[in-house]
Amino acid sequence: MDFPLELFINAIIAGLLLGGFYAAVTVGVSISFGILDIVNIAHPAFIILGSYIAYIVNQTFGLDPILTAFLVLPAFYALGASIYQVYHVSFEKRGQDALRGLAFFFGLLFVTEVMLLLVFGVDYRYVQAPYIDQTWKLGFADLPFRMLVPCVISLALLGALQLYLSRTFTGRAIMAVSQDQLALQLMAIDPIRIKRIAFAISIATAALAGAFLIVIQPVEPSVGREYIGRVFAICVLGGLQSLTGTVIAAILLGVVESLTATFYGPSWAPAVAFGFLLLTLAFRPAGLLGR
Amino acid sequence: MGNVRSPVFFLIAAAVGAALFLVTRAIDNDYLFFAGYTVLQFIVLATAWNILGGYCGYVNFGSAAFFAVGAYSTVTLHKLGANPGRYFPDALVDVAQTVLPLNIPVLIVVAGIVAGLIGLGTGYLTLRLRGAFFAIATLALAVVLQTLIINWDFVGGSRGAYIIRPQDANLGFVNLPYIQWLFLLMILLSVIAVTVARMIERSRLGYGFATIRDDELAAEACGVPTLRLKLIATTISGALMGMAGAPFPYYIGYLEPSSAFGLAYAVNSIAMPMIGGTTLWVGPLIGALLLGIIQQIATVTISSAVNLLIVGLLLIGFVIMAPAGIVGLVREFLRATAPSRLDARAVTLLAIASYCFLIGLGGVVFGLAAAMSAGNAALAGLGIFALVLSLVYLACAYGLTKLEVWSTLLTTIALGVSIPLSFVFIWLDPRSPNVTVQVFCLVVDIATVWYLQRDDVKRLYRPLAERRVMS
Repeated sequence: MDFPLELFINAIIAGLLLGGFYAAVTVGVSISFGILDIVNIAHPAFIILGSYIAYIVNQTFGLDPILTAFLVLPAFYALGASIYQVYHVSFEKRGQDALRGLAFFFGLLFVTEVMLLLVFGVDYRYVQAPYIDQTWKLGFADLPFRMLVPCVISLALLGALQLYLSRTFTGRAIMAVSQDQLALQLMAIDPIRIKRIAFAISIATAALAGAFLIVIQPVEPSVGREYIGRVFAICVLGGLQSLTGTVIAAILLGVVESLTATFYGPSWAPAVAFGFLLLTLAFRPAGLLGR
Repeated sequence: MGNVRSPVFFLIAAAVGAALFLVTRAIDNDYLFFAGYTVLQFIVLATAWNILGGYCGYVNFGSAAFFAVGAYSTVTLHKLGANPGRYFPDALVDVAQTVLPLNIPVLIVVAGIVAGLIGLGTGYLTLRLRGAFFAIATLALAVVLQTLIINWDFVGGSRGAYIIRPQDANLGFVNLPYIQWLFLLMILLSVIAVTVARMIERSRLGYGFATIRDDELAAEACGVPTLRLKLIATTISGALMGMAGAPFPYYIGYLEPSSAFGLAYAVNSIAMPMIGGTTLWVGPLIGALLLGIIQQIATVTISSAVNLLIVGLLLIGFVIMAPAGIVGLVREFLRATAPSRLDARAVTLLAIASYCFLIGLGGVVFGLAAAMSAGNAALAGLGIFALVLSLVYLACAYGLTKLEVWSTLLTTIALGVSIPLSFVFIWLDPRSPNVTVQVFCLVVDIATVWYLQRDDVKRLYRPLAERRVMS
């Protein structure tokens, strides 16, 4: 059998699009884990929550899922702020964030998943939008819109976040809080407030990522679990703090996963992310762009 | 049993285990063996998790993976033994036929070795990193192993594998039904796990682990061989988890990746030590008994999804409200009330608090069950009322152990509300088991309300400032 070039190129394109989406999924963790050092393993659960909200609104009002996500952003922001408040009072302040903080987020992950399971059951849910079934054909390359739309919006979102973090005062304060909390305090900024804002933003991105997810594939409550590994693999590979690194790592993982799924079968794809993660942790813990 | 030596402790634990087995046999209900096996399995898992998580402070999210490695090593050996001629070269067939099929104790040891090696490997790959990375890496390990198993046809892949459970186990002198044999083995494993945990806790090794938990950098600077200690911990912990998994295929009869790698194992093995208390060997034991039994009840009365919800909520509640778990709460209470000796007042109050806690937990389970029975509005309303009252009970238990000022009043009110309720329940369901329970509760409630009004008890629950002046 000669090398199937068309298949190969299509797999790469699918991987690139998938990578764009992965970047949106990961950016929340890049902020919470990479910048704030809060190991929010419950992030995928919030993404699934976002998916289900998009699903409900889409079913009852017929609203576009991604538009819905933008509408519920403030709610997710508030959710994030309140979770951070609980986390701060119960763990960060007492200096117990390592072990019990992890258990706390693990519990959150679990409770969210089981709640969704109890309310919606294990059926796969999907949404309707005019662009979901269409494909843009470019020669022999296929660009399905259900992948393209999330990818483009996600990259735009990351660009906006990068601008926010590097240009605005609050954004710079967020970057600073990861480096030196005390110095920030000396500048008369409340580091807790900055952290709360940052964590709230990270949860808010989950609303969007959730909408992308349900546009791309049908969703059921336990789907979030396979994203835990992906998200942290990308985050670590990207070097934790840098959003650029996150995008590069996300695209890399997307391409490798897509190639694996195409040539070895989809049942091997989940192992790719985790394999990546294990190898990165073992050999290059600082990530691709790390120093 | 503060200062008992380890061999003596092992004998005591074994005696308790033997008594448990004989009692269960005397009751002679097959369901009890099945339920008991699950609870015991959780004792092993929780204790094993705690050796790494509680003593060293490294969170392992991949307990299910180690458990599954144990289970799948059994499946592999079972399959090899079923048809040696097919899998071995001619020269080795005879050897294989005499060695295989292995009996379960040997399988447990094999599973322990395999899982221990995987634990060692994981530790070697990841323990050079900060704690959080270790946690994430274990999560990753679980998925990688699950993918490997799903794609490994020999052990059934994603279709799963059937293991026919033999009717009886012939132990030479006695013929046991197989489930009883498995139950007995699990008792033995629990006894071993708990003894090992206690031994570690009191040895140089345990102190080394504690230094890692408290400040790894400082420990390393003082010359504690942290990496080696951590590798020992991952190996022991992994091995015990694998051993817990080894008999599982015989128990369940049909093993598929999603059941062996079930999230329930990962969650429970974290939640149980966290709820019981992570620094002492009794912590995971208490947590596993408590959560294990509640889950058995909830699975029967409601559904297995709800019991995971209860575990999750309890985990969150405990890490926020009582970070040191039940053991920590009790210790703190004893330190505040009876610093030198165990006096009757402290013990009675602890008993009252545990009574409130257990009634509260039971009420939550039954309240949820009733509230979720759709279609019957009256029952659902009763369920919600029971839920609220149970939460008040839980608050009472918490307040009483924390010596909060408001707790005696709240407890008196809560019990005062339940006393007439008991009569209502007797009237609703006049069958004898229910009446027995209700009468028991009634007596305890009245006695408690009376006890809480005593002066020496009231003195304990004065505001902190007044208490200081008194002493």
